[in-house]
Amino acid sequence: MEVTLLVHATDQAFEIIENARRQAVELLNSTVGLAAEEQRWLEEKRIRALFTGAQAVKTRRLNFLGTFFILFFVWCILSGHFDAFHLSLGVICCGLVAHMSHDLLFANVRFVDMRTIAKRFIAYIPWLLGQIILANIHVAGLALNPKMPIDPKIIRFKTKLESDVSWVTLANSITLTPGTITVDIKEGEFFVHALSKKVARDLLSGEMEDRVAHIYMEADHIYIQDVLDMAHIYGLFRGIGG
Amino acid sequence: MEKFFLGIGIGLCFLVLLCLYRGIFGPTVLNRLAGISAIGTKTLVILLLMGFIYDRVDMFMDISMVYAILNFIGTLAVAKYLETKGEV
Amino acid sequence: MTRATDDVIIKTVSRIFTPFIQIFALYVIMHGHHSPGGGFQGGVILGASFILLVITQGLDRTRRRFSQKLGTIFCSVGLLIYSGIGILCLILGGNYLDYGKLNKILPVIAAEARSLGILGIEIGVGIGVMAVMYSIFSDIVTGGE
Repeated sequence: MEVTLLVHATDQAFEIIENARRQAVELLNSTVGLAAEEQRWLEEKRIRALFTGAQAVKTRRLNFLGTFFILFFVWCILSGHFDAFHLSLGVICCGLVAHMSHDLLFANVRFVDMRTIAKRFIAYIPWLLGQIILANIHVAGLALNPKMPIDPKIIRFKTKLESDVSWVTLANSITLTPGTITVDIKEGEFFVHALSKKVARDLLSGEMEDRVAHIYMEADHIYIQDVLDMAHIYGLFRGIGG
Repeated sequence: MEKFFLGIGIGLCFLVLLCLYRGIFGPTVLNRLAGISAIGTKTLVILLLMGFIYDRVDMFMDISMVYAILNFIGTLAVAKYLETKGEV
Repeated sequence: MTRATDDVIIKTVSRIFTPFIQIFALYVIMHGHHSPGGGFQGGVILGASFILLVITQGLDRTRRRFSQKLGTIFCSVGLLIYSGIGILCLILGGNYLDYGKLNKILPVIAAEARSLGILGIEIGVGIGVMAVMYSIFSDIVTGGE
């Protein structure tokens, strides 16, 4: 019986040593795999940096200069003095702030033509002021009416705008006009609280959205499939005409 | 002209008292936060009107801009805190 | 309170406003002699702009922009500028913070040396206050780490 016990004990000892050996081999394999993966990742990063390096540097410089000039303009408006001391202080301060936060102002700029967008934005503001005055008169009439015919609802609508700056412009314009408040924006869908049927109808007609899309030059795509569909008919016409 | 601005200022102070009702008796904390934020907006305009009355607009313009910034950041901070606390 | 907001409006408006808030804060510091303001007020607004970044963009991204070590360094640098100018006046033979004696180093008259001395003090105080506000806020918000 002592021999059986001895044999059992030896078997178990062998099993333990086998397990340990297998685990050690696995560990070594995994570290080798990790090292190879890290090498591959470093390689990828280097190739990507090669292609985007120059473009990123140029965008960074343009962001820095754009931020610097806008901030210097604001500094000159704030400070009424235009002598050399204050202007040099202004240059130093604007340089410091532009260095700290230049990637905040122009974060993901997809617009190519900033000047047209700035001009169209400045032309949009008087129309917005007119809308605010009209909606003000309507809401004042509602509030002073003894019956107060309001019909508050939350309206959801999907928007055709694409970038976050145009979403924010539309949401702020809706909130600024009395009678409507933007409650939430979830994945391109607006939730707006409207006070009465007339303001809801004005909102859903989509004029504000069209004007904001006109500012940022969005939602005026040419869809490729339409072009391809029309090309066939156009070819027929060319065949007849030519 | 000064009397006109003074009259408008007093009217705005009366509206601040109305907002203060919501700030004191609001059933939840969020009602109070919205009331105080609205009071902040009116305070800006009252400061500018005082600037016109005392004929030192540039000084009061700086003060009202500072108050606008701090009102914005303060409301956001309190709302964020209430969201993490679980009140929202 | 250190997570980023998931609201598009707040994130976009905060990131567009932050450079303007910072330039306004620096304007308040530099024009302390002419309009209400000065070192402490400008420092508070500058610190508030970083707190705005922490609330809306999350603590991690703001730490990448302005780390804790940099905050501690700026605290000390602000204090160094402030007392440094004071001790410099002491070395040059006047009382502590007697800016009139600064005209021995700088090529200006005594009155203008006082003005520049005060400006230097304001800058030091502004930097110190900004760093202290940011450090205290990130300490409280992360619970002490």
